[in-house]
Amino acid sequence: MRRYDVCIIGAGPAGLSAAIEAQKLGMKSAVFDENHRPGGQLFKQIHKFFGSKEHMAKIRGFEIGKELLEEAKNVGVDVHLDAVVMGIYEPHRITVREDDSITSYSADSIIVSTGASEKTIPFEGWTLPGVIGAGAAQTMMNLYGVRPGKKILMMGSGNVGLVVGFQLLQAGCEVAALIDAAPRIGGYGVHAAKLARCGIPFYLSHTVVKAEGNGKVEKVTIAEIDKNWEFIPGTEKTFDVDTVCLAVGLTPMSQLLRMAGCKTKYAGGTVPVCDKFGETSIKGLFASGDVSGIEEASSAMIGGKISAVGAAFRCGFINEKEREQKYDEYSLSLFKLRKGLFSKENKGRTDITKTDEGIDLSMTLFKKGYMTEEELKKFVRNSEIKGPHPVIECTQNIPCNPCEDSCSFGCIHVGNEISAVPKFDENKKCRNCKMCVASCPGQAIFIVDNDIGDGYASVSFPYEFCPLPEIGEKGFALGRDGKDLCVAEIIDVTTNKAFDSTAVVTMKVPKEMSMTARFYRKEVPVNE
Amino acid sequence: MERITKHPIIESFDKGRKVAFTFDGKTMEGFEGEPVAAALKANGVMIHRYTEKRHEPRGIFCAIGRCTDCVMVVDGVPNTRTCVTLLKEGMDVRTQYGKGGTEYEKI
Ligand SMILES: Cc1cc2nc3c(=O)[nH]c(=O)nc-3n(C[C@H](O)[C@H](O)[C@H](O)COP(=O)(O)OP(=O)(O)OC[C@H]3O[C@@H](n4cnc5c(N)ncnc54)[C@H](O)[C@@H]3O)c2cc1C
Ligand code: FES
Repeated sequence: MRRYDVCIIGAGPAGLSAAIEAQKLGMKSAVFDENHRPGGQLFKQIHKFFGSKEHMAKIRGFEIGKELLEEAKNVGVDVHLDAVVMGIYEPHRITVREDDSITSYSADSIIVSTGASEKTIPFEGWTLPGVIGAGAAQTMMNLYGVRPGKKILMMGSGNVGLVVGFQLLQAGCEVAALIDAAPRIGGYGVHAAKLARCGIPFYLSHTVVKAEGNGKVEKVTIAEIDKNWEFIPGTEKTFDVDTVCLAVGLTPMSQLLRMAGCKTKYAGGTVPVCDKFGETSIKGLFASGDVSGIEEASSAMIGGKISAVGAAFRCGFINEKEREQKYDEYSLSLFKLRKGLFSKENKGRTDITKTDEGIDLSMTLFKKGYMTEEELKKFVRNSEIKGPHPVIECTQNIPCNPCEDSCSFGCIHVGNEISAVPKFDENKKCRNCKMCVASCPGQAIFIVDNDIGDGYASVSFPYEFCPLPEIGEKGFALGRDGKDLCVAEIIDVTTNKAFDSTAVVTMKVPKEMSMTARFYRKEVPVNE
Repeated sequence: MERITKHPIIESFDKGRKVAFTFDGKTMEGFEGEPVAAALKANGVMIHRYTEKRHEPRGIFCAIGRCTDCVMVVDGVPNTRTCVTLLKEGMDVRTQYGKGGTEYEKI
C-alpha cells in the first residue's frame, strides 16, 4: 500500500485545483484520472471563459487546462493517469486499477472530483448510430480533430448546447437547427446570438419525434409540444441530418461517494451532503466540482481549492484561523460567479422580465437567439455618437467583466458587481483598438462608426472561422438573425497575439445598416 | 466525417504517426495513439456492433468510455470500448455481434 497525505480522484479543473492547493499547503498529494490525458472536460473547451480576471476569464478552457497542469507539475503533485479509482474504503483508502494491476493507496483525506456524465433522452430511433452526446461531439472534434458528422441537429439550448453548437460550426460542420422542449433558450443570450447571426434557427417548445435511417441517422423529425408535453399535430418538420447531438443536461458521477456510504440528497442528480468545505458526512472525505452539484469549470476550480483547504485543516496542516481566512477569500470569488440571471436561484424561472438595472430583457433573445433593434435601443444609444465606438450587445446579467479590463482608455464600465450589464461611457474617447471586441467571451461587442463618408458606416465584429475574409473582398452583411441584408466590403482584418485567435473584421455597409449589420458571409458565386 | 484540416482556434491536433489497421478485414488508416473510434469515424464507419436480442446497430454515443455503446472485438478481445482504446499499428478491429462474437452463430 502506498501513502499520500491526500488522494484526489479526477484530474479535471476541480481535482487539479484541489491538488495544487493541497500541495501548496504542504500536503503530499496525488491525483488519479482514468484518462490518458488529464484536464477532465477542460481540454475540449476551446471558447474563452466568462468571469473576471481572478476566475481566468477571457482565457480559453484548454489554455487554462495547460496552466493547471504546468502548475501541478511545478508544485510537485503526483499525477496518475490511466488510473481508474474503483472504490473508496473506510477510513481513507482507495483502490486503483493501473496497467491491469490493482494498487491500494491510503491517505488522511480524500477529495472526490469525478465530474459529471451527460444525461440522455429517449425518442424513437435514439439508439441509432449518429445520435451522440454533445460531449462526444466536443471530444471528437476538439481533441481528436474528427468531425462528428456533416449535418447536425442540436438538442438542448443550455450553455453546453449553445457552446458545442458554435464549436461544430467552427469545426466545419453544418448545424441544421437547435431545438429545446423548454419555451425559453436556457443558456446565455450572447452564446445564442453567436449562432443566430450565423443563420442557425432555434425551435423552442420543440422536441424530437423520431430519428430514422438505415443503420444510421439519415433523417430526423421534430414537432412542437404543448404545455402537457404532447406533440401538436401538423407542426412536424423533417431535417436531413446525419447526426443528432444531445445536450440535455449533466448528472453528477457520485457512485464512489455513494459506495463509501456518504449521506446524499437529490439535486438534479444524486449529490453528497456537504458542509461549506465540501466535507461529506464521512470525516476526511471531500467532494468538489460537478460531482457535488453541476456548475461550470470556473466554479469547479474554486470548489476544488476550498475542499483542499478543508482537507488541510482536517489533517493538521493549517489551523482554524488559516482555514477561515482562505475560505473567505475563495468563497467571495465563488459568490461573484454565482450571481445574475442564470444563477442557481434563478434557474428555470421565466418570470424575470427586467435586468438588475431595471431595463426590459429582450424576449426575442429568449425565443430566437437574437435581439430586435427596438429591444437593443433600451440598452445602447448609438445614433448621435461620432467616430468609432463600442456597441455592447450584452444585455443579461451574467458574471463577466473582461470587457472592462480590456479597455485601457476606461470606456467600458461594469463595476464591482461583475454580473452588471456593461456600459459604454460616452464621455471617454474610444481609440478603436478593438480589444473589447476580441476580449468579450460572448462575442457581443461591435465597434461601429456611423459615418465613414460617402454614405457608408463601418462595423467591426469578432470572427472565429476559417478562412478569414480578405481586405477588399465583397459579400453579404448579415443581420442578428443571420439573414442577408446588403452588400458589404471588408475594409480591415486585424489579428494579433492579444486577440488570442479571435480576428476582428471590419466591413463597410450603407449608413442605415450600422445598427443592423452584425456578421458577414462571403458571396459564393452562383456557378460554384 | 472527414478530419479537420484547418481550425480557427486549434493550431494542430497532436497526432501520432499514420498507421494501418483493419476493420472487418479491410485495411484502413488512422493515427497512432488516437482512439480506435476516432479512426473509424474518420473512415466513415458508423456501426460498431449489433445488439444481442434485437440485432440493432450501435455506434459511438458518449466518446468518453461511459456508455459501452462503442464496444467491438479488438485484437480478439470482445467488449473493448473503442472510444478509449488507443490505436496501434496493425490492430484487428471487428464489428461485435451480441455479447462478444464476430458473428451471431459463434455466440
Ligand atoms: C460534455 C460537457 C461539456 C461541458 N462544456 C462546458 C463548457 O463549455 N463550459 C463550461 O464552463 N463548462 C462546461 N461543462 C461543465 C464543466 O466542464 C464542468 O463543470 C467542469 O469540467 C467540472 O469540473 P470537474 O473537475 O468537476 O469535472 P471533470 O472536468 O468532468 O473532471 C472529472 C475527471 O474525473 C475523472 N474520473 C471520474 N471518475 C473517475 C474514477 N473513478 N477514477 C479516476 N478518474 C475518474 C474523469 O475522467 C474526469 O477526467 C461541460 C461538461 C460536460 C460534461
Ligand atoms: S462511446 Fe460510450 S463507451 Fe465508447
